[in-house]
Parts: sequence; C-alpha cells; structure tokens
Amino acid sequence: MRRGPITRKRLTYNIMEALKLKLKQQIIEALNLQDTKPEDIDDNAPLFGEGLGLDSIDSLELMVLLERNYQIKVEDPREGRKILQSVQTMAEFIQSKQPA
Amino acid sequence: MKGRFYIQGTAAISPQESFSGTFTPQLARLEDRNLLRVKEPDYRDFIAPNSLRRMSRVLKMGLTTALKCLQNSNVAVPDAIITGTGKGSLHDTERFLHDIRQYKETALNPTPFIQSTYNSVNGLIALQTRCTQYNNTFVHRGFSFEHALLDSMMQLNEGAAKHVLAGAFEEISDEHFYIKSRIGFWKEQLTQPADMLTSGTPGTISGEGSAFFVLSTAPSDVHIAGLKMLYKPTQEQVSTALGNFLREHQLQPEDIGLLITGRNGDVNFDFYYQELIAQYFPQTPELPFKQLCGEYDTASAFALWLAVERMRAGGPEHVLIYNQFFGEQHSFVLLGR
Repeated sequence: MRRGPITRKRLTYNIMEALKLKLKQQIIEALNLQDTKPEDIDDNAPLFGEGLGLDSIDSLELMVLLERNYQIKVEDPREGRKILQSVQTMAEFIQSKQPA
Repeated sequence: MKGRFYIQGTAAISPQESFSGTFTPQLARLEDRNLLRVKEPDYRDFIAPNSLRRMSRVLKMGLTTALKCLQNSNVAVPDAIITGTGKGSLHDTERFLHDIRQYKETALNPTPFIQSTYNSVNGLIALQTRCTQYNNTFVHRGFSFEHALLDSMMQLNEGAAKHVLAGAFEEISDEHFYIKSRIGFWKEQLTQPADMLTSGTPGTISGEGSAFFVLSTAPSDVHIAGLKMLYKPTQEQVSTALGNFLREHQLQPEDIGLLITGRNGDVNFDFYYQELIAQYFPQTPELPFKQLCGEYDTASAFALWLAVERMRAGGPEHVLIYNQFFGEQHSFVLLGR
C-alpha cells in the first residue's frame, strides 16, 4: 500500500501513540496488573475508581513511574490529580515536558 | 504455664502438600541448592485479584494460611491475632533497600516499604476479617512463634479472648540464602533431605513456610498442655529443664508416645537431640521434621502443625516437640489429647 509523505502532524501522532503504548506497558509492570494487556486499557478511560480501578497507593506508584522513567517530578498533588486522570492525560503531560 | 489450650483448627503452607488437606510426608529432591521452597496454592481462592497484585510472596502465604485456618475452625472473626516471624517480609525489605541504592534515595515506591514491616501480615488478616481486637507480632528469631503461642495462651488464660488466631510465617529469598550460606548456616555440598541427618557435616538445608492455629479454651481433640523456652542453654540445662517440664505435667518419659525433633543434620548442634534422646527417650519413636520443611526461624510452627496432624490421625496420647535454632533458642511444646 502506498502512503503519502510523512507530515509533521502524522509524525507527532505516531510519537504520541508510541508513548501511550509504552506508558501502558510501564503501568502494567509497575502495578503488577496481571491478566491486563496494553490493548485492554482505553486511552481515555479513568485510571481511578472506574476503569482500571486503581487506588491512592497506585497513584503514588504512578508518580514514581514518571520520576524514574521520564525524570518528571510532580510536586503539587492537585496537579497530580489532573495528570493521572487517564493514559491520554499522562502522555500529554509527558510530551509537554519533553524538550522541543 | 498450666492449663489446656485447645486447637480448633489448623492450616499450613510448606514445602509439603500441607495446604490441600491430603498430606503425606514426602522428601523432596533438590536440584542445585540446599533450599526447600513452599508449594504455593492458588491464592485467588482467598484474596481478591486487586489486592493480590500488590502482595509479596510471604504476605500471600501468611494471609491465605490464616484465612484457611479460620475457615477450618469455623471462626469468622478471631478475638486476637498473634503471630511470630523471624525475618518478616524479606523480599519487600530487600526491594526497598535496592531501590534506595539504585535511585539514590529518590523516586521510592511506597508499597515495598509499607509491606516490609513485620506486622503487615497481621494487618492484612485484620483488614480481611474486619478484626479490630488485640493484634501482635513477635520477632524474636528462633523464639518468634513460641512467643506468639505464649501470648495466645496468656490471652486465653486471662479470659481476654475466646478464640485466638496464632501463627507464624517465613520466606527465604535468594539474597538471604546467600548471606546465610556465607556464615555457614547451610551445608556446602548439595545434600538431599533424605541424607541430611546422616551427612555428618556442618550446616543444614534452608526452608520456609507458614502455619496457623485457632486456639481456644473450648474442648477439642488436641490441646497444648505446656510450653517451655530456654535461651542458649548447656546440654545439662536442657536435660534438667526437660525433667522438670515432664514432672510439672505429671508425666514420665515413657508417657510420650512420639517425639518430634528439630534435628537438622548440622553436626554443630545435633548433639542436643542425641543426648536428650539417649537420656530420656531411648525407646520413643522420633520424627525429625526439618527433612520435610527445612530450617527457618519459625519452623517449630510446622512441627506443631505436623504434631496435630499425627494426633488427629490416631496418634499417641502425648506428643513432645523439642526444637532448637542453631543452638540458641530451645523450646519444648507438649501436646495432649
């Protein structure tokens, strides 16, 4: 199949998709989510309460995940609440912190 | 302490098929190390998947054994939860310490830290059973389980509890096995459990396990009649103490129908058993239990579980357990029917 030239928009899209997949794999490993595969996690599904059903200790584990893997330290808990809403919000936050 | 403390139910996870209820002693065949690991059941039958994913091996072992024991005893919520452990959650402690080093004291996971505390198994049992009563964990190396038993007996004796959940749990990690091998705890050559008692070499085979009991003053078929602990005694002091212990319970050595010993094939310490048997029990059947479960701080809990199994299977009227942990902590536990 012939594809068109790689545009900047498509490149950004591909990077974002790859980041979300990696993030899902890291979440599964860090939280030991047995029997869960990356494709089982919806990008926009809430991580806490419904969706994956994570709890407050998991939120601390996810903060540690960001620090260890992306060198991002979340100091403000209120900010953390917004960032950890879903895989999508986490990925967007990571991307916003990457050097241009 | 005098009195009768009845065993209502038991459960054990060990290197034997002890959890399923179809126990037949079998000597394991070791492949590469002098280490006996437990046969783990399917924990999902007892613990919710969302809780299970966060627990280390010893937490799963301890909690599952406790819940099964309560189930076997028809007790939903005990009046006290009292346990003993020599090392607690080794795996979590090691993981936490590794992370401190690797991440230079930053970005530390809370879970292994929370779970590395000695009383985390007790906490989980309490949460799962919604038990808000007395809760205690004893950490006294080779005396840990004995102190848990003693405290349980005191709780019952004082009427503070009707049903006490007493138990012990221990895990061996690769690193801890290595550390202990450096200081001569384990035999240098690969030794099979079948040969450990006749090897004639220093050290023994490492083990792990958890065992729980529901104790009560309400009569059942087996009771704990006596408990005695001795710290770093000489051989003579052990002999004298046993004579006094039997007298206190109006028993002669011939009344003991089965002697369960912690003999582990370590030439440095097995003389305690040999001397005692020669003096008191030359004709009494002896059952050395560490061939089945290996050596660890709370192996005496497995011995108690084994004794109850034997007595319930039509064993003798009186069983005596004599165990010592590398010559330091010695204990006698007397069981009656």
